[in-house]
Order: sequence, then structure tokens, then C-alpha cells
Amino acid sequence: MSWSGFKKTVNRAGTTLLQKTGQIERTVDREFADEEAKFRTFEKECQVLQKDSKHYWDSMRAMTAAQTRIAETLETFYGAADRTSEGAMAGHAYKRSVDDLDGGFGRELDGPFRTTVSEPLGKMCAYFPVVNEHISKRNKKLLDYDSARSKMRKLVDKPSEDPTKLPKAQQEHDEAKEVFDMLNDQLVAELPQLLDLRVPYFDPSFEAMIRMQSKFAEEGYEKLSGVQRYFADTIRDDYAAGQLDAQVEGVLQEMRELSICGAN
Amino acid sequence: MKGITKTIKRTPFMVTSKVGMSKKSTDPEFDDYQRHFGNMEKAAEKLLKDTKAFTDAVNGLFTSGAGFATHFSTMFHPIAGEYDLIGKNPDSAQTIRSVSKYETTMEELRASIGPELELIETRIVGPIKDFQQVMKTIRKTITKRDHKLTDYDRFNNSLTKLRDKKEKSLSDEKNLFKLEQDFELATNEYDFLNNSLKTDLPKFMTLSTQFIDPLFSSFYYMQLNIFYSIHDKMAGFAGEAGYDITNVPGSQIAADYEAKRTDAWAQVEELNIVKRIISVSKLVQANRANGGGLERSATSASTSTASSLGSTKTSPPTRVPSNSFAKKVPPPVPGSAAPAAPPPYSPSASAGLAAAAAAGAKRAPPPPPPLKPKPKAAPQIQYVVALYDFAAQADGDLSFNTGDRIEVVERGASAEDWWTGRLNGQQGVFPGNYVQDT
Repeated sequence: MSWSGFKKTVNRAGTTLLQKTGQIERTVDREFADEEAKFRTFEKECQVLQKDSKHYWDSMRAMTAAQTRIAETLETFYGAADRTSEGAMAGHAYKRSVDDLDGGFGRELDGPFRTTVSEPLGKMCAYFPVVNEHISKRNKKLLDYDSARSKMRKLVDKPSEDPTKLPKAQQEHDEAKEVFDMLNDQLVAELPQLLDLRVPYFDPSFEAMIRMQSKFAEEGYEKLSGVQRYFADTIRDDYAAGQLDAQVEGVLQEMRELSICGAN
Repeated sequence: MKGITKTIKRTPFMVTSKVGMSKKSTDPEFDDYQRHFGNMEKAAEKLLKDTKAFTDAVNGLFTSGAGFATHFSTMFHPIAGEYDLIGKNPDSAQTIRSVSKYETTMEELRASIGPELELIETRIVGPIKDFQQVMKTIRKTITKRDHKLTDYDRFNNSLTKLRDKKEKSLSDEKNLFKLEQDFELATNEYDFLNNSLKTDLPKFMTLSTQFIDPLFSSFYYMQLNIFYSIHDKMAGFAGEAGYDITNVPGSQIAADYEAKRTDAWAQVEELNIVKRIISVSKLVQANRANGGGLERSATSASTSTASSLGSTKTSPPTRVPSNSFAKKVPPPVPGSAAPAAPPPYSPSASAGLAAAAAAGAKRAPPPPPPLKPKPKAAPQIQYVVALYDFAAQADGDLSFNTGDRIEVVERGASAEDWWTGRLNGQQGVFPGNYVQDT
């Protein structure tokens, strides 16, 4: 920090203290406070949204990636005994369809998702630190202004011996006010604009998101449902009736009855 | 304790067989089965891990999907004190009306996925874990068989050594008898385990396939169901909200998005508050330069004030020259064609936005006079009231704040001209369009 920066910090700390103890009047700008509160809400929502959208996308990718790995493992299982059974064929078809889904889907939607959802959100979120910089600048200048005004008032109430003091204090006050007003007015004028713009800004993302979600579900369903052809006709009903679970349990029981399982 | 003694006894043999000093027997048939079994163990482990990854991903998908919907919906609802978003953004009406529905849809989806995941947990993960348990006991048997094999080899080696010995002492003879007994025992134990493994491992492999068949089918239907429920819900939502979700290539979605994108991006970019502050003092100068509403030239018109309306993005470097310029030269000479930029000091809240816009239009380019008119004696004292703040830009300018009563010393030719006035004992010139007659 530069020396002048340091001096400013110290002076402002003093002003804050005096304000807390009620020695210096604090300017309250309701208009700004309202806009800032709204902005904070917007900022928070945007950031959560960015996080959620990223997580959503990552989950989608992770889901299809896990499916391809599961398919690979299934092949190991079938490879251990019988490669031509119905199950093995279905397993193979399953692997093909999830590979297709994972690869094709990632390639096809990665770009569009970035364009339509990630980038707008990222860009908006990138603005926040800058806006916050403006806000903190404004807050600092407000302290300066409060301090200059209190100095001037004191001189007006209790004129000093030195006649040059008052005009000087007045000038300082005017300058501080000008700077503060400039920053404050800008924020008060533009924060609502920024907030208003969010609707047209994000609007197209919504439809794109819905279309991508639907596309993901539809393609996933279509690709996977093709595997059903390789299953015996009864399997669907067996699944629905919980028969498959019974089968699994039955096989496990048979395994447990093997002599090598009860050897100790 | 017995186990430890056994381990200690086996250790010397393990070492010598490793370095090739003693013979170790192998059974290729068994080794093959064992290899398969090892693969199966790894596969089960992997399947379990990936199933877990899958459930986590699905869970994440639905949780964050619902989260996204919730927050998107919040964003498209009025934030504290805002009103009538649809009225303000008629183009986005469809979205604004649909977000709540979307939120509900995603929330329902999230809730509906719970049982589905539960199913995977109990019907897939559970059996795989049981399966692993079975494999663990088999693995134990295999380890036991390996130990017995070690014993077998160990006794076999000692026995051969002792038998080959030419001259046997008495204790050797005693040992020989004992070794023979041990060897026979070890052989029996090993053979029993080895044979049962050799018969049962293939059976186990077949059973594994039988195990994985229904498991895979169930898992498959569960996955299909997940896709189906998303699809179903989304289609229901899209139908109600009037969105077209025909399956089109991803690039089409991106293209449609680009087409629908409004100039909101550009508008956001033009806001001054999203630009980094370079230096406040420069900003003040620029502000003073523009704040007077007296545009000097086309270039200065494109600085901060104009950028809130105009289309060019202000970059700091261009600002510097116009500022230094601003300091030296006193006001006017506006490009009359330049669009009128309202001063950044918006007339205090009471004036309202409409008034500001109107004023902005009216107060177009405050006009030429290259030279400031010389003050002449005023015929009678007139007062005007300042409509806006005006900060002096050069020596001889008169600064004032909105609402100040200024004594008119000399009126300019028109409102677009520079007037001379007196305020607080100071005399100076100011733009006539900044004031109003009392």
C-alpha cells in the first residue's frame, strides 16, 4: 500500500470510529441501501446458479461415464464364462449404447451447454467483483465526505482565528461531496439497470436449458431402450414383478452352498 | 497362536523357494481358475465403485437440477420491491410465467428419484456386496490351499533330502518317519482343497454369470427408468409451458440461443459499474467534463457519459487525452449532430426518470459561443433556479447545485447559450439550459 493509501485508511478508520461513537454524523442513503440489498440478492442467486449449473453438467457427464465403466465391467463378468449367452449379447448391446451416449452426447452438447448456460452465468458472475469494487469505493468516499462535512460544520459553528480555514474546509467538503455523489449516483442509477437487464440477459438460457435437458433424457432413453431387444421377452415382466431379485438371491444362495465357501 | 507358529515354520521355505533353492510345485489348471477368480474380484470391486459413482451422479443431477430451477426461478421473480417483470420485459413473458412451473417440475423429479436410487441401493449394491462376501470366503479357501501347498512342498523337499542322505543317523531315521507322516497329512489336505477348488471354481464362474444376468437386467431397467422419468416430466412441462423440445442437434440449440440473445449483453457491458475503476480523480475529471453537458467534440462524447447510452465501449486510454483537453479549453463547441447525453448527475430523485429523459432531450448540445460573452450591466435583477448541478470547468465558470437561486447578470442569446450569473458573491458563466426562470 502506498503511503497516501495508508494515510487514507488510517483517516477513514478514525472516521468510522467517530461515527460509531456518534461524533460524526453518518450519511444514510436509503435509495442506495435498497439497490445494494437487491444487488446482493442478485449476486448470491447468480453465484449459486453458476455452481448448480456446473454441478448439473458434471453430474450428467459423470452419469454417462459411470455407465460406460459399468458396461466394461459387465463384459468381464460375461467374459468369465459364456460369451454367447443372451445376457452377454445384451451386455454388449448395452455397452455400445452407453458408449454412444457418453461419447456422442458429450461431444454434441458440450459446446452448446457452454454457450447457452455456463458462459452467460460466468460472465455475469465475473462482473460482480468489479461492481463490488465500485461499491466499496463509494463507501470509502462516503466516509471521506462525512468527515469533511463534519470538519466544515465545526468551523462554521466555531469560526477559527484563521480566516482561510473555512473556505479551505468548504472546498474539501465540496470536493469530497462531488466524488461521492459521482460514485453514488452512478451506482444508484446503474444498479437497477443491471438488475433489470438480468431478465433479457438470462431469458434465452432458460429455453436452451430445457431443450438440452429434454434432449439428454430423450436420447438416453432411446439409446438404452434399444438394448431391450436382446432380453428375453419375459424379463421386463420379471423385473416389474421382482422376479429378478429372487433370481439374484437364489444364485447367491447356491454360491454359498459351494464347498469352497464353507470350508472354514 | 497356532497360525503364527505355522507362519514361522513356513517362512524359511517361502524364502528358499523364492530364491530357487527348493522346488515348488504348480498346478496350471488351478492357476488358470485362480486368475479368473482374481479378475472377478476386481470386477466386482469396480462394479460396486461405478454403481456408487452412478448413483452419486444421478443424485447430483437431480439435486443440482432442482437447485438450478429454484434459483433460476428466484431470478425471474421480482427481487425486493420490484414489480411487473412481464410488463418490463414482454419478450421474456413466457420464461417468467414458466419458471415456477419448472421449479415444481424439477422438485418433483428430485423427489421421485429418491425411491429409484433406493432401489439401486438395495437391489444392485446389496447383492454385489453379498457377492463380494462370498468371494471373500472363497479367497480364504484359496489362501488356505496355498498354505497347504507350501506345507506339502516343504515336507516333500525335506523328505527327499533325507531319503537321499547316504548315511542316516538314528535321529534321521526317527525324523524320516515323522516327516513321512507329515507329508502324507499335508498331501491329503492339499489335495482335498485343491480338488474342491478345481471343481467348484468353474461352478462359481457359471453361477457368477447367472448372478450378473438378472442383476444387469434390473440395473438396466432402473437406468432406463431414470431417463424415462426425466423425459416424461420434461415433456409434460414443455407441453404445458409451450416449449418445443423436439430432439434437434445440439448445435441447433446453440444457434437458436444465439438468435434469441438480445442486446442485453451489450447493455450490461456498457454499464459503468461493470468497468474497473482506474482512478477516481480521472473519473471526476471526466465527470466534470461531461457533467456540464457541454460536449467538446465527438471524441469526448464517447467517454463515460455517452457510454451509458451509446454503443462504444469506453477504454481508459481514450479518456486521458480528452481530459487534459478538457482542463485547458473552456466549454462549448459541440458537434451539433452528436446525440445529447444527459449529465450523469441524474436530477435528484424527485424529478423522476421521465423528466430526466425529457430534459436530456431538450438540453441537446449546449451551443457554441467560442468566446464567452462579456458581462454587461443587467437592466434589472433577475433570478433563475438551477435545474441541475453544474461544476465549474474553467476559470470564470459559475458552479451551483440543483435548486440554487442564481442572480442573472446577463442572459445569453438563447437557452443554448452561456449566461452570466452571480451566486454566493461569485460571478461566472454557466449554460443557460441548466436553469429555469423563477
